[in-house]
Amino acid sequence: MATEKRSTNSSPAGAKDELAQAAARPAAQATSRAAASETDAGRLVLENVSARYGAFRAVKDVTLAVRPKSVTALIGPSGCGKSTLIRTINRMHETLPGATVSGSISLDGVDLYSSNVDPVRARRVVGMVFQKPNPFPTMSISENVSSGLRLTGGTSKSEIEGIVEDSLRRAALWDEVKEKLKQPGTSLSGGQQQRLCIARTIAVKPRVVLMDEPCSALDPVATLKIEELIRDLAAEYTIVIVTHNMQQASRVSDETAFFSMDDDRAGYLVETGPTAEMFTNPKQALTEGYIQGRFG
Amino acid sequence: MSISADSIAKVLTQPTSGEHARQRVNWTMRIIVGVAAILAILPLIALILFVVLKAAPYLVPSFFFNNPLDTEPGILNAIVGSLQLTGLTVLISGPIGIAGGVYLSEFASPRVVAVGETVIDVMLGVPSIVAGVFAYLILVPVLGFSGWAAVAALSILTVPIMMRSTQEVLRLVPQAIREASLALGVPVWKTALFVSVRTALPGILTGVILAFSRALGETAPLLMTARGTNAENWLDFSTTMNAMPIVIYQYAAAASDLLIGQAWATALILMVIALTINVLVRGRTVNSRTA
Repeated sequence: MATEKRSTNSSPAGAKDELAQAAARPAAQATSRAAASETDAGRLVLENVSARYGAFRAVKDVTLAVRPKSVTALIGPSGCGKSTLIRTINRMHETLPGATVSGSISLDGVDLYSSNVDPVRARRVVGMVFQKPNPFPTMSISENVSSGLRLTGGTSKSEIEGIVEDSLRRAALWDEVKEKLKQPGTSLSGGQQQRLCIARTIAVKPRVVLMDEPCSALDPVATLKIEELIRDLAAEYTIVIVTHNMQQASRVSDETAFFSMDDDRAGYLVETGPTAEMFTNPKQALTEGYIQGRFG
Repeated sequence: MSISADSIAKVLTQPTSGEHARQRVNWTMRIIVGVAAILAILPLIALILFVVLKAAPYLVPSFFFNNPLDTEPGILNAIVGSLQLTGLTVLISGPIGIAGGVYLSEFASPRVVAVGETVIDVMLGVPSIVAGVFAYLILVPVLGFSGWAAVAALSILTVPIMMRSTQEVLRLVPQAIREASLALGVPVWKTALFVSVRTALPGILTGVILAFSRALGETAPLLMTARGTNAENWLDFSTTMNAMPIVIYQYAAAASDLLIGQAWATALILMVIALTINVLVRGRTVNSRTA
């Protein structure tokens, strides 16, 4: 697979153990998390992942390797389980009543579903940006950014201030909000709110950032800004993005995974590969049909 | 099939045979519902007018600042007693009711929620006299006629109110907000407390205020528990306490113009407090909606 060849996982052997500890140790310190994120980590491997809502299987046997520090787009027709799949990666799927996951998802060799990984800790390492901007309505702009740090503890006040500015800068929002950090997060425009949510996500220093159709509620200008931001963030984070917009997939992603739906409505992975290849020369006829707009 | 311009004009302007009858029915209906509305409001206006007119002559400083046995009698001990009883009731039942509502909204499984909601419905339907008789027959033999027994009886009535209102406002918190918090790696309990409850806090407090208002006007449980007294009682919940509803009940049946007048005056105070609370709550909800 192309991902295997292009893998740039040159981290020392120690990094793997360190991450294993960070994910599994009850009191992972913010500092050690920060140190670990400087290594070239963030390799996500999904093996035979199935996700169910009660008896209904929404995702079937997905095996997918996600290259560290790159953008992987999940595309496919509505209802093919892309959003469900992405929510299994940060263990959000299981928060719904009756929802279950089988198979394994590992981050740098650590199985996120193993018994000694607390889902809460897994979510600190794998952040998520949602379809509709969802800043906390009772919090100011700066409180929104620091919310993850404040509510998970372990970060001093003086540290937090720096992280807020840094996260807002990385989310390309600092210049627009630096004068009004105390104003409610909900006072911002939709596009700004989404960048605020991205700032909030990266403030807790995750390895992986999941994005579930992050631009679907935004206008084209705001969408463009978020897309530029996604490209920038790929230098530091492994990004998995679900999108309905194929142009968006081709603009932002390095790799594309195409999903479709079986007769029993279970979503499955049709094929995956470098984005350029997927859009010009897909191997499967199904992919070609979808990309050329023949269905979906 | 097309209609000529000529026939459209006819359709629009020429009255049909049933039209006059329809207009008559319209007017008749208007008058019927209008009269019904006036009939509905009339007793309310009469009530307010009566209370205000009857109470006015008795609203003198001594009414507010003296006790019943003073030479110029007042109802200070009942005002003080009512505020203590309802205050303590809210202090005790508030945390219980709010915590119960948070549990049902944020933690309970759908099955537990269904059972819990039924229980709350039943508890909301408990007539206050039933809470009173429970306190009278079970608690009074142990605690005596006392503030404690009254607080217990009132709490039976206020806990379900706060539980329901808390659960309902928490239900209005968008799931996306909870998910945002969980996805940041915030534990479930912190998400419930610092995100869900924090977002719903104004609504939760509104429920507390409404429960306070309900407890303030309750009469039956108080007659059977706190019983009323002529003494001023500060914070001694182990013995009898006076309260405004008790005063109204007892004075209204008294053979004295002064006491009957004071019953009207006490009723006016209760009404003003209840009205003020209602207006405050209304203002809050309107504000939070426009904000």
